[in-house]
Amino acid sequence: MTAFIIRRVVWTIPVICFVVLMTFLLMRQIEGNPFRRTERAVPPQVQANLERKFNLDKPAAVQYLLYLKGVFTLDFGPSLVLRDRTVNDIMREHFPVSIKLGLLAFFWALIIGLPAGIIAALKPNSIYDYVLMLFSNVGFALPSFLVATVLIYYAALKWDLVPTNGWPSGTWALDSRVLLPSIALGFVPMAYFARLVRGTMLETLQQDYVRTARAKGLRYRRIVGLHVLRNSLIPVVTASGPLLGYIITGSFVIEFIFSIPGIGRYHVQSVNNRDYSVVMGITVLLAIIIIIANLIVDILYGFLDPRTREARS
Amino acid sequence: MYKYRRPISWPLSQFLTGQPRPFALIIAIAVVVSLTAGCRRDPAPAATTSGSTRIQRGGEIVVSLRAEPRSFNRFVARDTGTALFGQLTQSKLIRINQVTQDLEPWLAESWDVKGTTVTFHLRPDGRWTNGDPVTAADFEYSWKRTLDPALAADYAYQLYGIKGAAEYNGCTGGPAQCNKLRDKVAVKAVDDRTLRLELTSAQPWFIQQASHHSFLAVHKATVEKYGAKWTEPQNIVTDGPFMLESWEHESTITLVKNPNWRDADSVSLERVEGKIIVDGTTRVQSFEAGEIDALDGAGLPPEEIDRLKEEPYYEQYAALGNFYYGFNTKNLDLDTRKALSLAINRKVITDNITKAGQVPATGMTPKGMPGFDQINPNSPWLPVEGDVEQAKSMLPASAPKTIGLFYNDAPGNKEIAVAVQDMWKELGIETTIKSQEWAQFLEFLGPPPNKAVDVFRLGWVYDFVDAINGLELFTCDSGNNNTNWCNKDFDALVEQAKNETDTNARYELYAQMEDIMFGENGEVPITPIYWYTYPNLENDAVRDTFFISPLDQIDFTKVVVKGT
Repeated sequence: MTAFIIRRVVWTIPVICFVVLMTFLLMRQIEGNPFRRTERAVPPQVQANLERKFNLDKPAAVQYLLYLKGVFTLDFGPSLVLRDRTVNDIMREHFPVSIKLGLLAFFWALIIGLPAGIIAALKPNSIYDYVLMLFSNVGFALPSFLVATVLIYYAALKWDLVPTNGWPSGTWALDSRVLLPSIALGFVPMAYFARLVRGTMLETLQQDYVRTARAKGLRYRRIVGLHVLRNSLIPVVTASGPLLGYIITGSFVIEFIFSIPGIGRYHVQSVNNRDYSVVMGITVLLAIIIIIANLIVDILYGFLDPRTREARS
Repeated sequence: MYKYRRPISWPLSQFLTGQPRPFALIIAIAVVVSLTAGCRRDPAPAATTSGSTRIQRGGEIVVSLRAEPRSFNRFVARDTGTALFGQLTQSKLIRINQVTQDLEPWLAESWDVKGTTVTFHLRPDGRWTNGDPVTAADFEYSWKRTLDPALAADYAYQLYGIKGAAEYNGCTGGPAQCNKLRDKVAVKAVDDRTLRLELTSAQPWFIQQASHHSFLAVHKATVEKYGAKWTEPQNIVTDGPFMLESWEHESTITLVKNPNWRDADSVSLERVEGKIIVDGTTRVQSFEAGEIDALDGAGLPPEEIDRLKEEPYYEQYAALGNFYYGFNTKNLDLDTRKALSLAINRKVITDNITKAGQVPATGMTPKGMPGFDQINPNSPWLPVEGDVEQAKSMLPASAPKTIGLFYNDAPGNKEIAVAVQDMWKELGIETTIKSQEWAQFLEFLGPPPNKAVDVFRLGWVYDFVDAINGLELFTCDSGNNNTNWCNKDFDALVEQAKNETDTNARYELYAQMEDIMFGENGEVPITPIYWYTYPNLENDAVRDTFFISPLDQIDFTKVVVKGT
């Protein structure tokens, strides 16, 4: 197990180098002057000063190496657009917000998606199954901004239950403003989990050992709760890793609509602004998050499924 | 006897196996409790929490901001958000009266202009928030710092009117060489209250320009002590009517009244809370839910304007800005340009697409600019309702059958492009419209513009209240001239205007410039479509005193919340 972990960790380094290279090439491919944000042309002296300050006048290879050095010393430099703030500052202040939003969305997905899938699987082709799967399909189909807008319209404007936008400050603070964004963001994972769990449970319920257990006389409750569920939830754990990564990275639209000061909004805006250092910093950060999430899932998988443990050792 | 151990509390299993247990009741209670716990309405918030749902009375106002201010750092800040808060926290030398556009003394109680020498005399009672007096040396330091090439300030060019400034800013040598150039920049604090400048030419509008936020002063000791972090609320030192209380990046900015400001008694507001809301629809929703008092003139979503115009809280302000379609004069000859310009029905566009009271343009300089009546050419090539018949007759046989129209993908641009495409179809011209992302679009425009660009959409928002700001865009080597148009006479007039101190004579020169562009024999390098307005939403409590100036500035010292 430790060898496995060490190998994975070591592999991270070339992956990160590759991510930096791809990001660097892509950003250079899309033209655009990071210092010209309005129609006003930038006078040549000002442009020259800015390029010198941010090392953009150096040859491409040198710039790439500077970025690489920045990544591995974890110093991504100042933002090209928000000159007073460094990329590290930006990430430190806004990344926890996105994590919180992502975890809350994930929480909703678990709370609602899992039971929905389980019920649907245990009462297949019944009214419960049809209704729940209908919700699941609709949840997949609806784009998150539509869900968000509808939620705001009803919950915030018409029924006046919660504020329309905003986010509580502070790492552990929670108030009514977190409800709508996390539900809107968690809609698709909810639908996904429901479908996934239903599928795996249906499949597991067909297994021979379930039939054996019933034949032995075990109560259905015990079979489902103890055996079937544990086997069915393994794919859910596997899916959770990338899904959590996806939630955290894909929260841009929700953050935009609800004015949440998260990292997703910064990421997209920095691409539009051609803010090279922020783009590099956030992309690398997200790559690391996804790698770590996948690693944790793989480790957990080993614990959950004895068959993998056997295969590995 | 085997005692069955239930799996870890799985009430669901009861439900599924049909056992009559109080399963449903347990789940129902759990759901109701969790939902109502989350749905608790916020109580009246403490002073430091942001995002309250109801506005505080007692001279406090909540405003929405369109974007995070790039910086309070005078040196690099360039966007409207920063400009807005800069003006609140810092004192300008000169103030422009928002209604009459006249110059009023502000931090400078008087000034003299003798040829190219400008002398400002500062008031004696300007104070920084840490008690230090505001002196002319602060201004000399700040302006020279703005020009420092190492700082790479975006708005350094605003100071190029000062002798030696452009050279210093363009210095590429080492510190020794650049410091020599710095000492040659003609800004001098003669004494604590006198600031003397030498300009490169008379530039009669320079005093006006000095009200731009790039001319504000910063506190030298604070900047040198804290470096890039000097704008953090705990470090910042300002000298204006409001002080920075807290700044949660991308979320809220809170300013409180500066009780030691020299004119503090005239300021009614105690507190300004700025919530950063970037999405237009969210802004409107937040306003209508009662969470904010006013928007900052950032623009309303086009699809909501119809509905919002009927509401009592809708306000509209004239703006000094121009929306125009520029021509690539290398691809389109004069008669084609005239025909294309004639065919555009501007009224249809402002009445049915933009719908916020914009004024169809009849020249470059917008209405509301001092001297407008004298300057405006009332161009025959910019008919308000279009003139397709004349356009058809003007269109030469050599005109291209297909042209490319490029615009950036901001709200509203596409609809206008489609409308214009339709109008030009009547001339028998197929227009291909291409939408591009902003930075890409700017690259395409150059100058010089990409060959494929025949017509492009652009706008111009004026930096200061003088027509030269818009007219000088079209000189031969202006970095903002994307039309490939170059007219030596026009350039000569611009040079002349730079030295013409008599206002009326200068307006006459501007009129001649407009005539070259849009007169009977005009060369029509661009076709202005409309002059901007700032539509805004303001609630009843602040509507009477909340005012957005034509330069997109809001003077919060004048805002009074009803009932306080």
